[in-house]
Amino acid sequence: MLRKLINVITSLKLTIVCLVAAMALIFAGTISQVHLGIWEAQQRYFQSFFVWWPAEGNGFQIPIFPGGHLIGAVLLINLLAAHAKRFQWAWRKFGIHLTHAGLIIMLAGGLFTDLFAVESHMRLSTGDTKNYSEDPRRMELAVIDTSNPEFDQVTAIPEAVLRRGGTIEHKSLPFRIVVRHYYQNSRLHMMNESGVTLKSVANQGPGAQVVVEPAPRATGVNERDLVTAAVEIIPAKGASLGTWLASDALGAPQTFSTDGRTWQLVMRPARYYKPYSVTLQKFTHERYVGTDIPKNFASTVTLIDPERSVNRNVLVYMNHPLRYRGETYYQAGFEKDDRTSILQVVRNPSFIAPYVACIVVAAGLLMQFGYHLVGFSRRRRPVMA
Amino acid sequence: MRAAAVSLIITTAIVLGACERKDEQIKVYRIAKAPLESTPAPEALMPTNASSPSALSTAAPTALVPPNWEAQPLSQMRQASFLVHGENGAVADISFVVLGPAAGNLLDNVNRWLGQLVQAPITEEKLKGMIQPLPTARGEVAVVDLSGQPENGDATKDGRIVGAIAADANGTAFFKMRGNTTLVGAEKENFLKWIAASRASAPDSSTANTNVPPVTSDKPEIKWEVPAGWSPAPASAMRYASFAAEKNGEKADISVVTFPGEGGGDVENVNRWRQQIGLPAIGAELLKPMITSVQAADVRIDTIDMSGPSARVLAGWARQGGRAWFFKLTGPPNLVEKEKPKFVAFLQSIRL
Repeated sequence: MLRKLINVITSLKLTIVCLVAAMALIFAGTISQVHLGIWEAQQRYFQSFFVWWPAEGNGFQIPIFPGGHLIGAVLLINLLAAHAKRFQWAWRKFGIHLTHAGLIIMLAGGLFTDLFAVESHMRLSTGDTKNYSEDPRRMELAVIDTSNPEFDQVTAIPEAVLRRGGTIEHKSLPFRIVVRHYYQNSRLHMMNESGVTLKSVANQGPGAQVVVEPAPRATGVNERDLVTAAVEIIPAKGASLGTWLASDALGAPQTFSTDGRTWQLVMRPARYYKPYSVTLQKFTHERYVGTDIPKNFASTVTLIDPERSVNRNVLVYMNHPLRYRGETYYQAGFEKDDRTSILQVVRNPSFIAPYVACIVVAAGLLMQFGYHLVGFSRRRRPVMA
Repeated sequence: MRAAAVSLIITTAIVLGACERKDEQIKVYRIAKAPLESTPAPEALMPTNASSPSALSTAAPTALVPPNWEAQPLSQMRQASFLVHGENGAVADISFVVLGPAAGNLLDNVNRWLGQLVQAPITEEKLKGMIQPLPTARGEVAVVDLSGQPENGDATKDGRIVGAIAADANGTAFFKMRGNTTLVGAEKENFLKWIAASRASAPDSSTANTNVPPVTSDKPEIKWEVPAGWSPAPASAMRYASFAAEKNGEKADISVVTFPGEGGGDVENVNRWRQQIGLPAIGAELLKPMITSVQAADVRIDTIDMSGPSARVLAGWARQGGRAWFFKLTGPPNLVEKEKPKFVAFLQSIRL
């Protein structure tokens, strides 16, 4: 039985099946971007172990095709296992080994990037200082204990947990959070707006004056869903405190008190805090003379890191990122009449993998072709003479 | 041996695949309440890779600062900023802001502060009884002491404002202490001493915030056609122009205000107006569909219509030539409804 399994895993047929499946997946994923948008298509087809049907909802779902993670992982296992089974040391095969090693690094790097890389944005208006970046594609429900005069304790509940619904319990919270309603995308209206017939799903805070209308998923590159949830707070002892509406569109955090402590509730883009701060001192946007075509945009930022006694100014511009503490800040965009700069913040522990993989594959191919070229030229030499 | 190696690879892959995804984990972390350290950079400062010692800006009026006041980094408006901590987490925030001549009269500003404490606006007569004159090196300053707990407000940080306003031909200075009721009361004496010692001289340019746009005395150019039925109202220092509309004993107020630069963000401005008429704050996503545009001759004016429990606001704003213009009609809902066509015509007649 084990031998049969090993034969399957190490077979070339499995490689071919995986490559064909990858081609079909890429084709289907690319076509689906028309309706889903690039972000959602990536999530459903390439950054998943299976493509599910139906794609949304909490009901029964069946896998209808292997996703990018599964195909990549099987390919990687197939490659590693085939090498483990068939590896034979010989100088004449060294180039092939090296090329395959490069492919393994490439596949493993891709998987690690997908699993561990974090991309976010830091939006700074001139004079702003921030010590966190935000992921506008992933929301979080931040439940903040503001009772301590020295610090706020934040319990960040990711959107994916809210989407599952049900009751959320955590040791940092002396109450349960019951997700009564969840809207992946929504439109919010004031109750006193004419033509609004819906009822509010909340009975506490400003959300009690707001009604929520479900909306289709945002698919445009520059669009994003307006995630909204109605959550009920139920203390461990005692009656429910009521239901609050949490939405990025509601602005200011909402406050409630229980267990002798004051809490804030806010739906916001997922935050990634840093042990240092960045201040935007100046943003410049140069255009080619007589046109609106951007020539260059650049941000002068001050980096302050008390732990490492760093306080320096850095110029970030296109193709000239700031690299600090494992994160890379790229100049990504601007807003508000050139007064707000958007920096893309990337933490990718395996960013070096593609570079190493390319060098190793190139060295392997060079060695293999070189070996054959030398052999070929040696065989031709007596004929020439 | 080879079979064992293959099995190990498969096991590792399964374990990796079973790992919980990072976007489904609940995270718990602590964030210090202290404001972040920042360094205002002079215009000429060039980027450098060299480390330099941290510096905290402490621009303040030329007055003695009590030792328990913690200097805070400056914001775009503040020329001095302090935080005072009391018992049981009580906090009070102290600020000093100087604006140009267009900074509003005393009543406007006191009513704005009352709005921040969710208190009803007061009349000129009532204000007279509330003012405590304070002789200072800057001249006589009007001091008010206001109380009120905002809905859902945090009692450790809010509940009382002691404010002082000093106006002269060159500008208006605002001293403000807002925070926990007891702590503000305890610090009031220190606060008044600090105000009394402040001088009228312009802030030291080496410590002034370089981001504050320069205040120009040149009156900006704007033209409009005043609708029939609107009468000019007494101008205040903050307003470029004022009008009043009256019908059946009800009165609506029309204001034109201008600021150099952007004049703040749309969300912040709209939320300030919403707060003034007792509506909750909203975010950018909710605001977007509420904004409609009115096309004037050479500028597009964004407008919003907001109705609170007892008052309604029609507001329009435009940014042109480095200035922001705000046009606002405020009054009882019925009268505002009647005046709305005139307000729209007024906006359409504007030439910037």
